[in-house]
Amino acid sequence: MGFYTLSYLCILVFILAAGYRVYRQLTLPIHVRWEIYPVQHETTDKLAHGGSYMEEVNWWEKKRESSLLNELKYMVPEILFLRGLWKENRGLWRVSFPFHFGLYLMIATFFLLLLHAFLTLWGILAFAADSAIRTLLDGLIVFTGWIGLILGIIGSLGTFYRRLADPELRDYSSFADYFNIGFIFLFFLSAFVACLLGDPFLEGAKAYTFGLLTGGHSLIPYMPGQSLPGGMAIVTASLLVAYIPLTHMSHMYMKYFLFHNVKWDDTPNRRGGAIEAAILKNLELKPTWKAKHVEADGRKSWQDIASSAPKEMK
Amino acid sequence: MNKRLKPSDIAKPSDCLCHIESGELSPLPPPYEDFNQATIPPLKPEKVKNIETSLDDTVAIGIPKPASKEEEEALVRQFLSGLKKLFEKENNWTFLQPLLLSMEHCAKCQTCSNACPVYEMSGRKDIHRPMFRAEVLRRIYNKYLKPGGKITAKLTGDIDLNWTTIARLAELSYRCTLCRRCATVCPIGVDNGLINHEIRKLFSQEMGIAPKEIHEKGTVQQLRVGSSTGMNPLAAKDSVEFIREEMEEITGYKVEIPWDVEGADILLLHNAGEMLAWPENVGAFAIIFQAAGISWTLSSEAAGYDAVNYGLWYDDVQFSRVAVKHADIARKLKVKKIVIGECGHAHKALTVIADRLLTGDLNIPRESALVTLEDIVLNGKIQFDPHKNDFPVTLHDPCNMVRAMGIVEPQRRILRKIAPRFREMTPHGVENYCCGGGSGFAIMSGYNFEAWRNLVSSRKKFLQILTAFQGEPQDVPKYVCAPCSNCKGAIRDLIRFYHAEERSRLYYGGLVELIVNAMANMKRPIILFGEEPSWKS
Ligand code: SF4
Ligand code: SF4
Repeated sequence: MGFYTLSYLCILVFILAAGYRVYRQLTLPIHVRWEIYPVQHETTDKLAHGGSYMEEVNWWEKKRESSLLNELKYMVPEILFLRGLWKENRGLWRVSFPFHFGLYLMIATFFLLLLHAFLTLWGILAFAADSAIRTLLDGLIVFTGWIGLILGIIGSLGTFYRRLADPELRDYSSFADYFNIGFIFLFFLSAFVACLLGDPFLEGAKAYTFGLLTGGHSLIPYMPGQSLPGGMAIVTASLLVAYIPLTHMSHMYMKYFLFHNVKWDDTPNRRGGAIEAAILKNLELKPTWKAKHVEADGRKSWQDIASSAPKEMK
Repeated sequence: MNKRLKPSDIAKPSDCLCHIESGELSPLPPPYEDFNQATIPPLKPEKVKNIETSLDDTVAIGIPKPASKEEEEALVRQFLSGLKKLFEKENNWTFLQPLLLSMEHCAKCQTCSNACPVYEMSGRKDIHRPMFRAEVLRRIYNKYLKPGGKITAKLTGDIDLNWTTIARLAELSYRCTLCRRCATVCPIGVDNGLINHEIRKLFSQEMGIAPKEIHEKGTVQQLRVGSSTGMNPLAAKDSVEFIREEMEEITGYKVEIPWDVEGADILLLHNAGEMLAWPENVGAFAIIFQAAGISWTLSSEAAGYDAVNYGLWYDDVQFSRVAVKHADIARKLKVKKIVIGECGHAHKALTVIADRLLTGDLNIPRESALVTLEDIVLNGKIQFDPHKNDFPVTLHDPCNMVRAMGIVEPQRRILRKIAPRFREMTPHGVENYCCGGGSGFAIMSGYNFEAWRNLVSSRKKFLQILTAFQGEPQDVPKYVCAPCSNCKGAIRDLIRFYHAEERSRLYYGGLVELIVNAMANMKRPIILFGEEPSWKS
């Protein structure tokens, strides 16, 4: 039960920490536009050269068009294959891609395991032993699991090595940077060894995930925690889940905000619209900047200050 | 020998943290190899006796040296108080979300370094890595303002905070042109240009530290007198009247320049620097608008004849004041739209950034002049004879128009129609390189900063221009079309510094000059390639 308690606690930390990060983003005041082109949801003719709706005469009189398809065409290869890094920093991509893709496959494996556990739990007929769906799911789990582990090991070793060997990276790296990669490597390694030594079909992982849903009740007697590498895999995986949202590695999902709320946030402010209402609220805020030319006294609002001329130079 | 520097080295005392040795700058091709051993001319000791100079070979701000240890400590406290405010919505709602996102998610992968022209051209000096200054700020923030920061700093990256750190960081924030090329390549979406912008704001808004060219002579003067050039409304009107007469004389074309016309369709906002340095640009706009039968006006109200908003580069408060003033002038004139002339930062300031500042009747539609011009040129409102522009032309993309606004094709469609020998630079459009004069550098020339700009920050642009004209005979005049006042300033200085007019017959100017030059009914050309117009002789 000790493993399960740890996993539950870590999942709770993940939910709280990741939730907090996302919640904070959603509740921040609207900021000024700071988009950067190409903005990937632009229409195809504009996107071809990185253009915007502001290339049109009287653009405000026209209906705004954007393309979700164009955005997806960019996002999917960016997320899955790190296309930006491939284009701009090929050397790093060679280690970073297997590292990230290994992690993605681990996440995919976990969701497949969850699906497996749910289907087993609900006792769905079509999921009986020897059924086609079950065979397919079992196969998929083995496939994503093994490939993910192998890529992850190669990637984390490669990233660690590059960070250490390349002075460009080393001079800017801290203990925490090495620790993070080392931690992830430890997970990949222990899970890999656990599977290699006695569980090539990831039965232990299936049983553990099933146990996660049932408070520790497992269908088979074998549990990964019975072996040292299996136990390590559970502990490191659980801790990682809790740890990632506490660090810059949260970029895995926070990248959404970096792109959608800043780089591609090109929505114009229309009179009487929601953006205008949010700006009006911001303009009531009272700054306390100390430089004399600002002339903030904690009582004047941004609105007051913006409509005044400074009396002081500095 | 390129000495490696880490972010924590910024705190270590020395006379010069980063010096560029002879031969370290990126090489230039013939006939400019004689500049390859050039170094930045040393600062004159008597001029910099009392100011902070310990970052590198130049000075942008000229921060006075504190008189005592106590004063230093007080300044450090002020810095920390300002840093805290950057993360408060009351003080920094304008950029809080982008700042937080960029501060918290850098993976230190260095992909951004290779995209930065300053880093590349400086001979890859560590202090010019886009993430260097960001990492300094991040470490100070994490260590001194986060709970338990002094302990976690040992694990996540340490830094000492003393007056040297701060004085150098302030200067370092003026070694980046805010071109944001680095931000386009970051695989995570981190924007080191933005972090640099926030560092400048902290210094200006909390400590009153900013280069005098952009603050005292810039926004303050604009809000007091009406223009950062120092021209009051009367002087501006006089200049324009003079330009009108001269343009008539040069072109033989009768020009009207309307002032303060209530209810006009367009309020045209020029960078007032054009009136003094490139009057033909102002005149050319008038000719085109008149020939196309456009209803337009200039404003003679203070700040209404100067589109610049230097606040964009260093101070949100000054930015807001200037932007509100511009919008209010247009509101009073009851124009249908504001059209911003050939000035890149003014484009971004009023169109994009001020968009989330102007509300109600201050939110008047704003359009780039390049778009307005495209409509005129491509829709047959004027007759052209492109052969009048039968010389090699290349186009410089102002970062604020392309990367920050996505205005990329209108200027190209115009050039393809009126300049038969137009060719692109490599790379161009949203991947362009800054002219090196961005974020105020073009107007900053105190101490030896202009030499630093010409040798380092504008160097990449110079290389691009030379490459674009490769293969053209030396004696053929070549035109760099730069539809932005600041870019023109930087390119003018480049041409002078490298004697490029003599060596490569390199000339520069705006887009409207090319348009007017190609107008079929123009009696004489306005692009004169070195032959001075009457007002200069
Ligand atoms: S800003 Fe982006 S590209 Fe630069 S080091 Fe950080 S993560 Fe890498
Ligand atoms: S904004 Fe431009 S100059 Fe500044 S660091 Fe980035 S690439 Fe370099």
